[in-house]
Amino acid sequence: MSVLGGLLRAGASLCQSAGTLLHAARSISTGTCCRVRMHAIPELKKVDRWTEKRSMFGVYDNIGILGEFKAHPKDLIKAPCWLKGFKGNELQRLIRKKRMVGDRMMTLDRHNLEKRISFLYRRFNRTGKHR
Amino acid sequence: MLRFSLVVCGGGVAKRFASSFSGQSALPPNLLLPTNLVDPGRLKRPPPPADCSLPLLRKCDAVVPAHLSPVQTWVETLESQDSEPLGLAHLHPDVFAVPPRLDILHDVERWQRNYKRISHANTKVRSEVRGGGRKPWKQKGSGRARHGSIRSPIWRGGGVSHGPRGPTSYYYMLPMKVRVQGLKVALSSKMAQDYLHIVDSLNIPTPDSQYLLDLIRQRHWGESVLIVDVGEEFPENILQATANLKTVNIIPAIGLNVHSMLKHEAIVLTLDTVRFLEDKLLWHNQRYTPLYPFKLPYSDFP
Repeated sequence: MSVLGGLLRAGASLCQSAGTLLHAARSISTGTCCRVRMHAIPELKKVDRWTEKRSMFGVYDNIGILGEFKAHPKDLIKAPCWLKGFKGNELQRLIRKKRMVGDRMMTLDRHNLEKRISFLYRRFNRTGKHR
Repeated sequence: MLRFSLVVCGGGVAKRFASSFSGQSALPPNLLLPTNLVDPGRLKRPPPPADCSLPLLRKCDAVVPAHLSPVQTWVETLESQDSEPLGLAHLHPDVFAVPPRLDILHDVERWQRNYKRISHANTKVRSEVRGGGRKPWKQKGSGRARHGSIRSPIWRGGGVSHGPRGPTSYYYMLPMKVRVQGLKVALSSKMAQDYLHIVDSLNIPTPDSQYLLDLIRQRHWGESVLIVDVGEEFPENILQATANLKTVNIIPAIGLNVHSMLKHEAIVLTLDTVRFLEDKLLWHNQRYTPLYPFKLPYSDFP
């Protein structure tokens, strides 16, 4: 409010003739305005709801029921090979990763994986209420 | 304040003058229409009466229970834009007239969204961040807080203690009968809301996309149409016509699913598709529970 008043006074002074600029308006801020200033409501980002991916989402999800059970929906998942059709907590995922992919990992990644597995094993099985 | 309000009024009056000069039917550019507006042209098609003169093109193959009666629908054609329906078809009530279970639809839709989801969000723990093996300064005497490594989670640039860890999968499977019931409920809901159309075959005279759009607009089918057909080959004309259209899509019958049925407003099935769907979906009503997965051979299935 006080900043608006200051702007009005500045505008009024500019509207008057240039020769009589006796009172140079100074804006006084009393500190009540918010620091986040936006000049307009930001406009919504335009999302195309009918791209190829969005319109064909979910096709072949029932390939088992409608297709004589030759394939399973978990064959459609695009994922690292140790996560296709598998859900588990972090320790289970890491153990599965070590079993399936461990011997072709880089040395630093494998070392970090083993450290993390041993940390999680000790954490889950030796601390806390549920061991 | 008064001067400010006068300035605003002046601007508004000027804008109103400009819009009346430009044209009477100029919609404001920031107009937001609600998405559930009803097209008045859709409300006028009654279901086939009992004493209709058109031939019955399809009866139900499976046995209809005695306390239910088959659903009757028009069978139309795509050959010409303003042609009358060719005949009637009977649809099995256990597939096309089941009670509308919205909770099953919600469960199946949520399953379809999540079972393929792999989240690749990953953060490094304090042991994985580069560096931080040495104690930064000695324990006592320096006057600063005691620390063991520069990559602990309270340091800037340190590891995240409880962040997302590695590629995570959200895979789960709903029971097979729940997914089958979801398909039946979706088909019944489309039937009940007059968004399901049966067509004898998918032959069109021209491979022109505009022909399809005009046909859909003239028959008031809706904004988006999903065309389903059995078999691996489709007629060339309809493939070319739907190739460039975003909201009209064609899929084989094996690819039918609840998410696509909810995303597209209208569904178009051929008579062969109806027979295929009834055959596949009604089998689950009276099957035995599997002793081993269905992908292994059974003596009496398929």
